[in-house]
Amino acid sequence: MARILFQNESLNIQSESKQTSPKVLSDREILKKRSEGYLKLIKGLDAELLAETRGKEELMAKIYDEFGTAELANLPLGILAKCYLGHPHEVHTLDLSGGQIIQHYKIGEPLPDHFEKARTLAKHNAYAFVEVFKDKLIPIRKDGTATKL
Amino acid sequence: MSQKVISYADLSYINSALRSIKADMSAVNVELGGLNTKHDHLKSDLLQLANSFSDFVESDIKHKALQLAETRQGNLKQDLQIKFGYYAEVRRMATGILQGVDTGIISDDTLRHTTEEVMIKAPNYWLAPSLVVLASWIRDDKDTTKKALTESLKRDDYKTTLFFMLVMRRLGRNDACLQWMHRYFLHQNPHNLDREFIVILEAITTGVFQPASHQLMITNVKTWIDQLTQTDNYIDKQKAQWTEFFKTKGSLSGKKYPLLEEFATNWDSLKSSVTQARSHYALDNHFKNIFETTTDYSKSIKIQLDEILSLLVTNFDDEELPLQNEVRLNQLIIQKDGDKKAAQALIDNEKHIFDEKVDFLQMLTNAAFDPELSGATKVTQALAVSISQPWILEAHDTFTADYRNKVEEKVELIIDGFKTSTIDGTDETEQLQKHDKYWADFLENELKKLSSPKIGIIIGALVALLALVIFGLIGIIGALIGGIIIYSSINNHKKAKKKTIEIVTERKAKSKEVLRGCIVETVDYRKEFATEDAKAEVLRQTLISITPEDFSSSSRETRSILQPS
Repeated sequence: MARILFQNESLNIQSESKQTSPKVLSDREILKKRSEGYLKLIKGLDAELLAETRGKEELMAKIYDEFGTAELANLPLGILAKCYLGHPHEVHTLDLSGGQIIQHYKIGEPLPDHFEKARTLAKHNAYAFVEVFKDKLIPIRKDGTATKL
Repeated sequence: MSQKVISYADLSYINSALRSIKADMSAVNVELGGLNTKHDHLKSDLLQLANSFSDFVESDIKHKALQLAETRQGNLKQDLQIKFGYYAEVRRMATGILQGVDTGIISDDTLRHTTEEVMIKAPNYWLAPSLVVLASWIRDDKDTTKKALTESLKRDDYKTTLFFMLVMRRLGRNDACLQWMHRYFLHQNPHNLDREFIVILEAITTGVFQPASHQLMITNVKTWIDQLTQTDNYIDKQKAQWTEFFKTKGSLSGKKYPLLEEFATNWDSLKSSVTQARSHYALDNHFKNIFETTTDYSKSIKIQLDEILSLLVTNFDDEELPLQNEVRLNQLIIQKDGDKKAAQALIDNEKHIFDEKVDFLQMLTNAAFDPELSGATKVTQALAVSISQPWILEAHDTFTADYRNKVEEKVELIIDGFKTSTIDGTDETEQLQKHDKYWADFLENELKKLSSPKIGIIIGALVALLALVIFGLIGIIGALIGGIIIYSSINNHKKAKKKTIEIVTERKAKSKEVLRGCIVETVDYRKEFATEDAKAEVLRQTLISITPEDFSSSSRETRSILQPS
């Protein structure tokens, strides 16, 4: 079972047209340990909270906080995590661009672009979730340690 | 008429002539054979001659090169003697003075007199004023000390600094030593460190220098790491090396999964995953071993430090280096019996060792991988690992996540044409059902391919009917023939069918055995992978538990800056 937690792809296009040269984050910045609050936030996400628009705005604000930037080019496209809904659900995604924020995917069900490559890691017990970027994957361990792939 | 003559002609003469020609011919053949053998001999003799001639030429060249090298070496040594002869004297004297100071049996006057003389004899040489400094410092002549020191630093700041840092340590003058060490650190460029730096680092770590030097080193090392980790380049380079190092540590014996090796189409990938997962255990031991050493190295480090000091004092100065290199080359040519190429290769190698300069992080990695090769001990290895701990951990995380990401979700099998895939081998029943179905379909298909007995039956029936219609009673014989045709074609078909069934059943049985074996191996494989993969977390704990001294705090600081507090 897996989930994609927030997806900013459509917003991303907007940001690219607005900001001509977004600051590129160095590895040091990308690999910093994720805060406990952020981990809790992503872990504790459930569909009910996010159904309200306010919940979503709050979530985005917290994510900007965590990454120290609101530049969407530097934010992940979305987050993929193991889904605990039970069989046959495998992963779920967090998608902030559309109305449906959390989406659950069953075993074998294809994931949207970019997310598929994170599936194996999202299912692995060592990682809490995987931040999916256009050009990289950042698996986050349960203690908040980030790794770049 | 001519025919008549021929009929009476006596051919015996011609016959005997032919016979004798034949005999002659064979004699010629024998001769020719002999000639061939001789020719071969000659050829090999000539080849031998050519070989020995080229050997001779080669040895002659070597001999001449040897002679030339000997002459040149003599000349060069003379040259050296004329130009830098006093340098050698100063160096000898320096060693003597150091020993004299150690034992305290030389009078101040002698010291003063000799060192001042040296000053006159060896202009431009940094060691001369340094010796004056030493002598005047011992007799407490502050004015001369100051002047001589200024001169010495002017001539060669770096060497003077290193010299006094080491001499002060030998004499146990801690404060002075610390001052010099401070200056020594200022000389170091973290992007481009000298080889001897690792020994100094080790000496500080093991407490050969006084405790205050430890703090000084930490402060400097911290600044360097900050400097080097500002960009990703240096750390990424080290991380890549560590990741490669991790990759080489795993191994898998070839016989563990024989069936998967033969029947799994993605075996290469499966093998690479489990091999990499198997590296954690070996690595965990490797790192634990580094930190479990209790040997006291301080004695050997003191010797090493004195070696640096004596090298500094006895080694040639930059000025004389070109000449000394020439002498060394000629010396090597003589050593190699005139073989110029071998000598050149040797000297290139030597130069490489001396020229080697590395950035600080690379120096740490070298010491962490192979302390002996980089001229360090296990103490420095432990130090290097503890300083490098943050990026070793990062590299290990990357290495682990990378192979975990690449692990094959399914084991793809092709067994005698039966294609299937299993995730973890828990679906044996379904697999066997699928297998049965495949072979049932296969058999059906094979049987369809057999030529149908229908044509035989029709022909037989036609023959029988025609015979009966046309010949009446006698036609019974024809009908019998038709019957035989029908019987044999049915019989043939039956036999072929039986054979096909036999063959297919046998293939199916074998394939089933292999499939079962593959499933068992898949279960074992997943089990082993999970066990070995879990050891990654154990190794991770080991790595985390390495106290990264105070150095790594810099990298932690970088991290905390990024963390919203």
